[in-house]
Amino acid sequence: MRDQIAKYSGRLLSDRSAVPGRISFAAQDDVLLTDGDPELARLAGEVLFSLSCLGMVAALPSLPFADFLVRRAPAGETRIVPRDTETRTFLHDIPFLRREELGGDAAARIARLLGNRKGVIAEGLGIFANGPVTVEHAYINYSSVFHAVFVKYLLDVLAEGFLLPGEKEAFEGFRRDWLRPVSAEGLPFRSGPLEDPGEILAEIAAVGRYTVERGLVDSFFGNISCRAGGVVYISQTAASLDELPGRIDPVPMDNSSTTGITASSELLAHRRIYEASGARTILHGHPKFAVAMSMLCEEKDCPVKDCWKDCDRVRLLGDAPVVAGEIGAGGLAKRVPPVIASPRKAVVYGHGVFTVGRTDFAEAFRAMVALENWCREEYFRRLAEKFSG
Amino acid sequence: MNRLPATGWRGKLLHVDLGEGTARIEEIPREFLLRYLGGRGLGVRLLRETYALDPFHPSMPLIFAVGPLCGTAAPTAARLAAVSRSPLTGTVYDCSAGGRFAHRLKAAGFDALRIVGRSPRPVALAVTPEGAETLPAGDLWGKTVGETVRALEGRGSVAAIGPAGENRVLFACIMMGEGNAIGRGGLGAVMGGKNLKAVVVNGDRAVAVADPSRFDRARQDVMRLFRASPVIFGELGIAEFGTPALVDLMRQRRMAPTENFRRTVFEGSGNYSGPAIRKAYGSKKDGCFGCPIQCKKSTPDGMHLPEYETVSHFGALNGIDDLHAIVRSNALCNELGMDTISAAATLAAWGEGRGRFPVAEEVDRLVADIGYRRGEGDLLAQGSRRVAEAMGNPDLSMSVKSLELPAYDPRGAYGMALAYCTSNRGGCHLRAYPISHEILRKPVATDRFSFSGKARIIKIAEDANAAVDSLVACKFSFFGATLEEYAELLSATTGEEYGPQSLKEIGERIYLTERFYNCANGFDAGDDRLPARFFREPGSGGEGIEIPPIDEKRFEEELGKYYRIRGLTPQGTFSDPGFLEKLP
Repeated sequence: MRDQIAKYSGRLLSDRSAVPGRISFAAQDDVLLTDGDPELARLAGEVLFSLSCLGMVAALPSLPFADFLVRRAPAGETRIVPRDTETRTFLHDIPFLRREELGGDAAARIARLLGNRKGVIAEGLGIFANGPVTVEHAYINYSSVFHAVFVKYLLDVLAEGFLLPGEKEAFEGFRRDWLRPVSAEGLPFRSGPLEDPGEILAEIAAVGRYTVERGLVDSFFGNISCRAGGVVYISQTAASLDELPGRIDPVPMDNSSTTGITASSELLAHRRIYEASGARTILHGHPKFAVAMSMLCEEKDCPVKDCWKDCDRVRLLGDAPVVAGEIGAGGLAKRVPPVIASPRKAVVYGHGVFTVGRTDFAEAFRAMVALENWCREEYFRRLAEKFSG
Repeated sequence: MNRLPATGWRGKLLHVDLGEGTARIEEIPREFLLRYLGGRGLGVRLLRETYALDPFHPSMPLIFAVGPLCGTAAPTAARLAAVSRSPLTGTVYDCSAGGRFAHRLKAAGFDALRIVGRSPRPVALAVTPEGAETLPAGDLWGKTVGETVRALEGRGSVAAIGPAGENRVLFACIMMGEGNAIGRGGLGAVMGGKNLKAVVVNGDRAVAVADPSRFDRARQDVMRLFRASPVIFGELGIAEFGTPALVDLMRQRRMAPTENFRRTVFEGSGNYSGPAIRKAYGSKKDGCFGCPIQCKKSTPDGMHLPEYETVSHFGALNGIDDLHAIVRSNALCNELGMDTISAAATLAAWGEGRGRFPVAEEVDRLVADIGYRRGEGDLLAQGSRRVAEAMGNPDLSMSVKSLELPAYDPRGAYGMALAYCTSNRGGCHLRAYPISHEILRKPVATDRFSFSGKARIIKIAEDANAAVDSLVACKFSFFGATLEEYAELLSATTGEEYGPQSLKEIGERIYLTERFYNCANGFDAGDDRLPARFFREPGSGGEGIEIPPIDEKRFEEELGKYYRIRGLTPQGTFSDPGFLEKLP
C-alpha cells in the first residue's frame, strides 16, 4: 500500500488541494502504516486504528475556506451543509471540530465523527477523510470535501461578504496566487470524425487527462464519451479521467449487450444527448465556478424548495442553459438533452457541465473551458458589484 | 431505562416445539436486539446453546428472523434471514430472502420464529399474532412448492419446502411464496427433517418509526444513490435486465466458470445474456415485496426467469447454451425446492468425473432424480464434495467447505478467491461480495488481479455485510447506497443512534460468533481452502486479458494476514476458548 500512499500524496500536490508538507496518510492491512507530516500522520494513524476502514488521509487544505466556514458557522453548529449535488448525494454534510474541541484526545473525537461520515474538518489541522475500501477511496473523500467546501465558500462569500478578520486578504490571495487561467492552449486534439476504435480510445484517454490537468473536475471524476456508428465509447463509472486506458466501455446504442453495466452513471444522459443533438463527442466535468454559479437564482417567492432536482425552469449562465436534475436515472438525463443541441453546452444545477462536439473533442473541451472562464469572471464581477466600496 | 424502544423491533419471538406440539411467546433480551440487530445477527445469537448439534437433530433450531427495518418503508428491507446449521457444509448457516413472508412475520408481532423438535407427522405451521397452530400436512407431503403455496396462501404468506426438502437433499431450499429462495446450504432439508412442510404467517400490525421526518430524508438519500448507480438503475443495470446483466460482463472479463471451471469463457453465453432473455421471453420487472429495484424478471404470465448464477451454471458450467433448457431447469429446481447453484455445480462435477457433461435434454430428468433421490440422483443430492469423493476424485468438487462455488471464477478476482475461503458458510460470493469493487467498481474499483490490501478489505466487507444481513437489507442496495444511509434509517426507525462504524462493529461480533461456532465444530484453516485447480490450471486468456493460475504462496500470505487482522491464530482458530462468554 506504500505505492498507493505515494501516488495519492502526489495527487494532492498536483491538484493543489493540500499544502505541501502538511499531507499525511495512514493505511492498515495487518499492520498500520503512516506516512507524511509527523503530527498529522500520528493523528491519522490513531484515528484509523479505531475505525473499520483501510485508509485515511489527513491534510491541510491549500485554501483556508474550510476553516473560514467553521468560524463563520453559528455557535453551537457542528456541521456545514453544502448544497451542491455531490454533497447532497454522497457526503450529506460535513461535520467539524472547532479548534477548542481539539485539545486532549483529538483523535478520538475525530474518529467518532468519521465513524458516521466520509470527511471531517478539524479547524487548524485540516480535512480528515476515511477510505473504507482503499487509499484511493480516502483521497476521493478528501477531494469531495475540498470541492464541496470550495463551492460553498464561494457562494457564502457572494451572499454575505467577508465576516472574519483576514478573510478578505486571504480571498484576494486565493484569486491572485491559487487560481490559474483555465485554457485549452497547447493541447493537441485529433480531428474528427473519429471512426477507428483504437483512435477513439486513445483520444478519450488523452482528453480525459486534459480535463484533470486543466482543473475541470473535482478530484478526477467526470465522464467522457465518443459515438461512432452504433457504439458509444464511454468512460467507466468511478474511473479517474486521467487514467482511462482499459477503463472505457464500448456500449452498443441498441443495448444488445450489457457489458457496459460498468459504464459511467451518466450513460443514459450521454445516449439521449447523442440522440437529441447528433453530436459525436460528449464531455462532462465539474468545474468549480460553473458549479457555484449554477446555484445562483434571482427568482423571488419561488415555491420550489429543492431547486437542484425539482426546478423545471431553464435559466442561463451567459449563453449556457442551466437545468436541474439528479445524477444517473435521477432526472438529469431527461432535462439536459432537450436544451443542449443548439448551444452545445449545458449546466446542471449544482453539479457540472456537459459540452458536446460535432465531430471531435476539441470543440467540447474548448466550450467547457470557455464556460468555466465566463463563470469565473462573472462570479468576481458580481462579487465586486455587490461589495465594492 | 432497560426498556426496549417501542419502534423498530417487536421484542418478541415465537418459539415452537414441533415434537411437543407447543408454542410460546418469549421476550427477546433488549441487549440482543441492540447488539445483534435482527435477521442473521439475532439468529446466530439465538443459536449459542445449540450450535454443536447435528443439523438434523430435533433440537437444532430453524430460525426465521426479521430485522428492525422490516415493516418500514426502508428500501429493500422486507427481508428475513433463516438461520440454522447446514447439513451440506456443517457450518452455521444463514440465508437472506425477500418477500411478503418477512413483512407479515413482523406484522404478526414477532422479530423471530424459532422452530425446534420433529413432528411425528407432516405438518404446516400457521403463525398469527396470537401464536402458532399446527396444521396437518399429510396431503401436502410430496407436493411441489407451487402446489403447496397455492394450498396455503389463503391463510397468509407461505414459506414451503418441495420434495427436495422432504427428501433431505443437502442443498434443498425453503421457498417463499413469491418465488424467493432461502437457498444454498440446505435449510430446506433441515425443515424437512422436522416434518415441517410449510409455514404460513399473517398479521397486520404496523411498525412505528421513531422519527418519521428523519426517516424520510434518509430514504430519499438512499433512493438518490440507487438512481445514481449504473448497476442498479442504469439502463444496463439489474433493474432493467436482472442479474443476468452480468453474463456479458463476466464473459468480457473472462471469468465465467465453464465446464466445471476448466475454462473461463463460454462461447454460447450470449444465448442467455440479459438482452437475450428479454428478447426470448419478453421479460417484465418483478421482485421482492416493497423493493424499488425489482431485479427479478418474469415472463408476462408470471413464470420466474433465472438469475445470473443459475443461467451461468446450468449454462457454461455444464457446457449448455440452450436458453429454454436452462429456464426449464430453473423452474424445476424452484418447484422441487432446491438450490440452482449447487444443483448445477454438482452436475458439472459429476459430468467431468464421468467424462461427459450432461446435455440439455437430460438435465430435466437428472434434476428431478436429485429432488426425488432416484437412481444416480440419490448420490447427486449430497452435493459435489460427496459426489467427487464417491467417484474417487475429490478435486472435482469446485467447492469450499462443501458449498459449491458460484459463477465468478476466482482466477479472475483475487479478493473473491480469498473471500470464498474466509466465508463462514463456505464458498459463497455474498459474504464479502468483492465482485462489487473488483468487477462492478463500487464503491471504488480495486485491482482484481492483486492481493494487495484484500485481506483487510474482505474483513471489513464481511463485517459490513453481516450488519446488512441483520438489518435485514438486500446486498444489491449497496451498489449504490452505503452503511451511512442505512444507519440513518436504522437510527430514525429505532430512536437508537447507529453509524457505519457501529454497524461494522456489530457485524464483526456476528462474524466472529459464527467463526467461533464453526471452529468449535472442528473447522480451521485447513477448511479455508480453494480447490487445487485454481492454483494449477490457467483460465481462458485472450483479448489482451490473461487468466493465470492463482499464486498459491501469495494467496496463503494474504490468508495469514486475514487471520492476524481477525485476531485469530495462524490455524484460523480462537486462542481464547472463552471468547463467546465475553460477548453479549
